[in-house]
Amino acid sequence: MRNQLKFRSIFLVILCVFLLVTGFQQLYAQNAKKNKVRLKAQYVKIMDGEIAINIKATSKIKKKNIKVANLEITVYNELEDEKIKLGTTTTNIKGESKFVIKNTNAIKADSTNTYTIKISFKGNDSYKKASKSISFKDAVIKAKLITKDSLNYISATLIDKSTDSVIVDEGLAVQVQRLFSPLIIGKAFNTTDKNGTILVPIEKGIPGVNGNLIIEVVLDDSDNYGTVKALVNAPIGTPIIDESTFNKRTMWSPRNKTPLFILIFTNILIIGIWGILLYLITNLFKISKSKI
Amino acid sequence: MKNYDTLIKDLAPKKFGKRGVIWIIFLIAIIIAGIIAYIDQIIKGQVVTNMRDYALWGIYISNFVFFVATSFVGSVTVAILRLTNNTWRTPLVRIAEIISVAAIIMAGITIMIDMARPDRILNLFIHARLQSPITWDVIIIPTYIVISLLLLYFPLLPDFAILKKYFKEEKPSLSKRYGFLSLNWTGSKAQKILQEKSVKIIAIMIIPVGILLQTIDAWLFSTTYRVGWDSTNFAPYFISGAFVAGVGALVTVIYIVRKIKKLEYYITDSHFDKMGKLLVLACLIYLYFNINEYLIPAFTAKKGEAVHLDTLFTGHYATLFWLVTIGGLVVPIVVLLFKKGRKPLPMFFIGLIVVIGSWWKRYVIVTPTLLHPFLPIQGVPESWRHYFPSLHEWLITIATLAMALLIITLLVRYLPVIPIQRTADEQELLKTDKNTKS
Repeated sequence: MRNQLKFRSIFLVILCVFLLVTGFQQLYAQNAKKNKVRLKAQYVKIMDGEIAINIKATSKIKKKNIKVANLEITVYNELEDEKIKLGTTTTNIKGESKFVIKNTNAIKADSTNTYTIKISFKGNDSYKKASKSISFKDAVIKAKLITKDSLNYISATLIDKSTDSVIVDEGLAVQVQRLFSPLIIGKAFNTTDKNGTILVPIEKGIPGVNGNLIIEVVLDDSDNYGTVKALVNAPIGTPIIDESTFNKRTMWSPRNKTPLFILIFTNILIIGIWGILLYLITNLFKISKSKI
Repeated sequence: MKNYDTLIKDLAPKKFGKRGVIWIIFLIAIIIAGIIAYIDQIIKGQVVTNMRDYALWGIYISNFVFFVATSFVGSVTVAILRLTNNTWRTPLVRIAEIISVAAIIMAGITIMIDMARPDRILNLFIHARLQSPITWDVIIIPTYIVISLLLLYFPLLPDFAILKKYFKEEKPSLSKRYGFLSLNWTGSKAQKILQEKSVKIIAIMIIPVGILLQTIDAWLFSTTYRVGWDSTNFAPYFISGAFVAGVGALVTVIYIVRKIKKLEYYITDSHFDKMGKLLVLACLIYLYFNINEYLIPAFTAKKGEAVHLDTLFTGHYATLFWLVTIGGLVVPIVVLLFKKGRKPLPMFFIGLIVVIGSWWKRYVIVTPTLLHPFLPIQGVPESWRHYFPSLHEWLITIATLAMALLIITLLVRYLPVIPIQRTADEQELLKTDKNTKS
């Protein structure tokens, strides 16, 4: 009987502790401090290609910048008196998202020919709400490959589309697309002249698949125009010669592509040695048969 | 000079004494402990070892290299001394052959122990790539096992026939077994021609095959681009190291067998003196290669190699490195240069030191290099950057050493450790005996 009472009281104590702990957890959860989210947006326009808003979401947690994944972000086109919803996007594991503006006519400029895009996060259990606005004017890069005295150049003109005037004293980068990061050609920035034009020589000997190079002329993260990129296909590179040993007999090939010298030498050794060993084993039989 | 009957009586295998039985029980107990640890390793996987991403080869591989090195004794003492017509080799060769057989069998078993999935051993043959040194090793080890067995067996044929006759009345069942093993040996001219021819072929063949075995063993390391292994010196370095380990093991076993079987008449001080000279020659050659292997890199070392050499010379492995170099190599050379140092008892201790030094030398070759890769492995626990064998690894490794000793003990028990027929022929005892009787 005493034991039963003892068990009951132990059970009650455990139950109380469990309920208290659960209660505190809920209490803490309600009062838990939400973290701030920092949103970054970049307008990127590729000539004759897509227009996109590149979004990055980070948060400073315990003095460390953390990339915030799975944030649902709404993208708006803001005008003086109206806010047009363009769509929503979600950040990936790197805290990044690319919102492609499929229909360029969907966004409208204000009276000063400036476009304003607002990205907005409405907040969740872990993060406070946040938003970011970017403004830009529409710019165009007209780039082409020209050849003068058997030297190749990239000629590019930067134009403000809203006023249809050239943009002077703006830095453009010329680079060749590579697998990991682009290869800069010439100076880091080539300033546009009074005609809004740059002329950059392309050195010879740049390797490309079948001799084709994709040259980019980039206005990078301009305060007024965002990022604008023009791509030029230039068949002026040195063709890449495929040096793959995939179909050759090498030391690192699979067994069906063993180098012949290894096959021959090793098999001669194996057959030679085991041939002698078999001969020696037959000698044992011969010994057992020849008593006299 | 002893007569023929006394000779057979002296050299015929004898039953174990009390000490022999205790020794066997001791070895079996160690082996059982090792087998239990190995079964646990198979069940739980190699997580029971301390091998991780850094030390992916550990004590098993250094132990394997030690066994391979020790098996070289068959090529050195038997074949080389035979081909150079050194007649003093007669009482020593059989023990050398026995050690060789035991060591190479255990080398084969040890490499299987290192495999996390021994059930996949057939894949080594089915999916073998002839470009891989591992495949060369898979081919050469069974080859060397067969050669070593043949080298042991062919010269035993006349002795088996003698033992068949000797035990005929006293132990008929044992006599029957020796008779079976003697392959109807009668000593006929045809049999003698075949046997002598075969022994000569094996003696010639075992030298290049032995060198090939040690070379492949060295290439397993030197074909990997790692500090301390990436050396063109590695094959001769391994061959000379094997020479030392083999002769060291031979001296040690010969001393024990001579003492237990009371063979002082057959294995004399002069034999130890000659073995001592052979061992000092082996040690000097190995020391020369050691100087090449460590001194030149010390001059030309790049960053990665300098770190590795610092670990050996003054760092974590310095004590072990200098113990195996000075204790296992320099001290034996100094002692063996003196005639008194080549007496049986000092020779036994020197042989023992050389064998222990040789074992740890392989550990020094394998482990520190693995802990210093050119590119550090990222995202692994700090403990993985260090290696010392786990209890499982020690139990299994010690069991393999005990197994080698058990094979040697059993072969020493059932085989005549000194060739009876050859000793008799050399002493022309049969002839003398017959003359006396007539």
